Amino acid sequence: MVRRNRVRLVVWFASLVGLFAYVADYFGSVFTTQAALDDFAAISDNPGIKALTGLAAAPDTLGGAVWTKIWMTLAVSLALGIVFLVTRNGRADEELGRTELLRSRMLGSHAQAVATWIVLAVLAVAIGLAVALVSMVAGLDPDDAGTTGSWVVGASLAGVGLVAIGVGALVGQFTATSRGANGLGSIVILGFYMLRMIGDLGDGALTWASPFGWGEEMAPWGANRWWPFGLMLALTAVLLAAAWLIEERRDHGAGLLPDRAGSSGAPARYASPLGLALRLQRGPIVGWTIAVVLSALMFGSVANQMSDLLDSAGGNVAAMLQGAGVDALVALLCSMIALLVTVFAVQSATQLRADEASDILEPQLAGAVSRTRWVLMRLLIPAVGALALLAIGGGLLGVSYGSTIGDPSQALRLAGATLAYWPAVMVIVGLAVALFGYLPRIAIALSWAVIGALWMIMILGDALNLPGWALNLMPFSATPTLPAEGMDWTPLVVMTAVALALVGAGLERFARRDIQPA
Amino acid sequence: MAIEIQGLHKSFGRVHALRGLDLEAPVGQVTGFLGPNGSGKTTTIRVLLGLLRSDAGTVRLLGGDPWADAVRLHRDIAYVPGDVTLWPNLTGGETIDILCRLSVPLEPERKRTMLDRFDLDPTKKARTYSKGNRQKVALVAALASRAPLLLLDEPTSGLDPIMEAAFQESIREVKAEGRSVLLSSHIFTEVESLADRVVIIRDGETVESGTLAELRHLTRTQVTAVLDAGADTLASLPGVHDLATGDGRTSFAVDDDALATVLAEVARLRPRSLVANPPSLEDLFLRHYGDELAALEGGGRG
Ligand SMILES: Nc1ncnc2c1ncn2[C@@H]1O[C@H](COP(=O)(O)OP(=O)(O)O)[C@@H](O)[C@H]1O
Ligand SMILES: [Mg+2]
Repeated sequence: MVRRNRVRLVVWFASLVGLFAYVADYFGSVFTTQAALDDFAAISDNPGIKALTGLAAAPDTLGGAVWTKIWMTLAVSLALGIVFLVTRNGRADEELGRTELLRSRMLGSHAQAVATWIVLAVLAVAIGLAVALVSMVAGLDPDDAGTTGSWVVGASLAGVGLVAIGVGALVGQFTATSRGANGLGSIVILGFYMLRMIGDLGDGALTWASPFGWGEEMAPWGANRWWPFGLMLALTAVLLAAAWLIEERRDHGAGLLPDRAGSSGAPARYASPLGLALRLQRGPIVGWTIAVVLSALMFGSVANQMSDLLDSAGGNVAAMLQGAGVDALVALLCSMIALLVTVFAVQSATQLRADEASDILEPQLAGAVSRTRWVLMRLLIPAVGALALLAIGGGLLGVSYGSTIGDPSQALRLAGATLAYWPAVMVIVGLAVALFGYLPRIAIALSWAVIGALWMIMILGDALNLPGWALNLMPFSATPTLPAEGMDWTPLVVMTAVALALVGAGLERFARRDIQPA
Repeated sequence: MAIEIQGLHKSFGRVHALRGLDLEAPVGQVTGFLGPNGSGKTTTIRVLLGLLRSDAGTVRLLGGDPWADAVRLHRDIAYVPGDVTLWPNLTGGETIDILCRLSVPLEPERKRTMLDRFDLDPTKKARTYSKGNRQKVALVAALASRAPLLLLDEPTSGLDPIMEAAFQESIREVKAEGRSVLLSSHIFTEVESLADRVVIIRDGETVESGTLAELRHLTRTQVTAVLDAGADTLASLPGVHDLATGDGRTSFAVDDDALATVLAEVARLRPRSLVANPPSLEDLFLRHYGDELAALEGGGRG
């Protein structure tokens, strides 16, 4: 288990701890006075930051500033990474028959799963310890406060990682494919993130419904609470126990839901690349639609709460929000829907390479379909799907928000605001296609890295020291942030052209190169 | 000719997988495509399907260019990959329909016949199938159409003997309909009962090709017997080669056409035990090409 995954384990460890160290070091050099920290805390205290990353318990300390900037990103990345690693060593192996060999050697049916859990628990704890150490070395603890804050922040990350092991183990029991397990796991993690987001923006109740919320409530450098860590350990134990019990009861290779006898024939439309892809991606399409609809409705309720707050507080609060008020928050929510849709589109676009890597592309191209046609028909799903999901997400956000402020026109207005991200989404899809053409072996990893980088830039922004023009070149930053800003067609036209060029380049290369299974 | 390959080269980075391979497969015949593991059979078939681009050499397939005319040619080709991957969430029956219709019209009557013959339950999800069953799915899909050319890459490596018989029956029917088959394998005897012509490759090069009759000299049975006396008399019999004795065992190779007379002679000597094995391809290569290869490699190093 360690040997087959050592590169991945090291990469996850190094990138998460490294990111924390980078931000700690950078902030340490920027915020040299208490006044600077106070300013940062004041700027951070707005709904946008609360929604995206949460606000530190002690935002005016150096540790708190670092926490606000990076804790949520680390926590979510760690959780997703661990879910993927659990799947990779459980469900994916089972799919490939790799575990049959191990099982038949009298290892006991749980031995492999338990080995995976232990290794990943060590990873989570190691990351927590390393973060605590980095924090101490970087001097994040206030002078007179000892090192408790550092230990708490490390433990809060380790705790999130442990819960993620449980989540990964359990979703692996409910689904029969690794893709299904990863999808379900991501949705659970995303759900936890949303719950704490709504909690953080509202009265805080829902924050307690999410392990990310528990991590926040450990309040490093603030209350320094340890007992939410106990909650995380308890949840981990419950999830793992459930996974254990289910694994004992089900047949090897099957999911929890028994396989029913299926159809003995397929409709003729499945013989076209689009028809087949629609059938194969049915699960993800439905799943992402549900995710977008739920997020839009939740975001709508968030925007409502904020507008209520503004109404009751009068002009002062609006001024505190730097004049932009609810529109800035709504624009942020629109961009988050767009990010969600990007994940869907990229996951669909990376299926091109997934098909090639698993060898299932071979029989398809042995049929009477050209490579170009195969790719283009497959790309209709991310292209049209993104368009539809952006419209649905923005429209629902507008309906939900508009209904409370009595402004039905918000539906169209916000649908338009999210649809403006379509060219940006397609640039990233285009990038995935170009990678598929030119660097097939690392195309999937790089495509996800692009999404990760987008997220980082959205969160870190100025801390990366990137020049302004470079930031503006990023597809998401280049998109006008409606409705807070005015509409500007130029970047949209340019990005559409860039997307087309990227798809064209990838296609041209793919049509000329060898098929390269993994 | 259904397939004509001359001087085909293909490299993967530093691996020179095909080094001037020649192959001909006449229309209406079964052509056996033999070579040890790693000799380049799958690579050749992938070039024929336009999945890989050749580095050098000429390749003609049904009168077209497999790279440039891929889409048109694939309407006439049914393909069974060596390592069958299926969509885990689709049933065997759905997969058969899809795989078949991707290139040629499906004939429901044939599909039903083949499902019965190969004893395959089409309502099961593909992820529940064993390797043998996955191979059956690909075979049924290839046999459920009237494709003029079948490209089969070690199609029976996961099948049990009963299914092997079903497979042979099916291939004979295909041939009776005047369709062409390229059948790759690393086991000589499997090809022997089906093929009209055989092409044998090693390390990406064609080392032997011709009709089965022409290659008869390759098919020698390896015999090992425990004899009390009389072993020497066997050495002089026609068709006996490489006779060796030791440990009370006598072993030798016999040409197939002399097998009956030689075994009768052995029986006359009252053997305490007798084992006769068809030769593996590796044996054949070692026996027939071992010297040449040693010379080649020695020359290469020198
Ligand atoms: N995609 C590839 N990349 C690198 N080497 C390959 C690739 N495909 C095949 N080879 C190499 O080419 C040689 C021939 O392989 P293959 O055609 O699969 O042989 P066979 O089908 O006869 O067993 C082997 O040495 C194999 O390792
Ligand atoms: Mg092969």
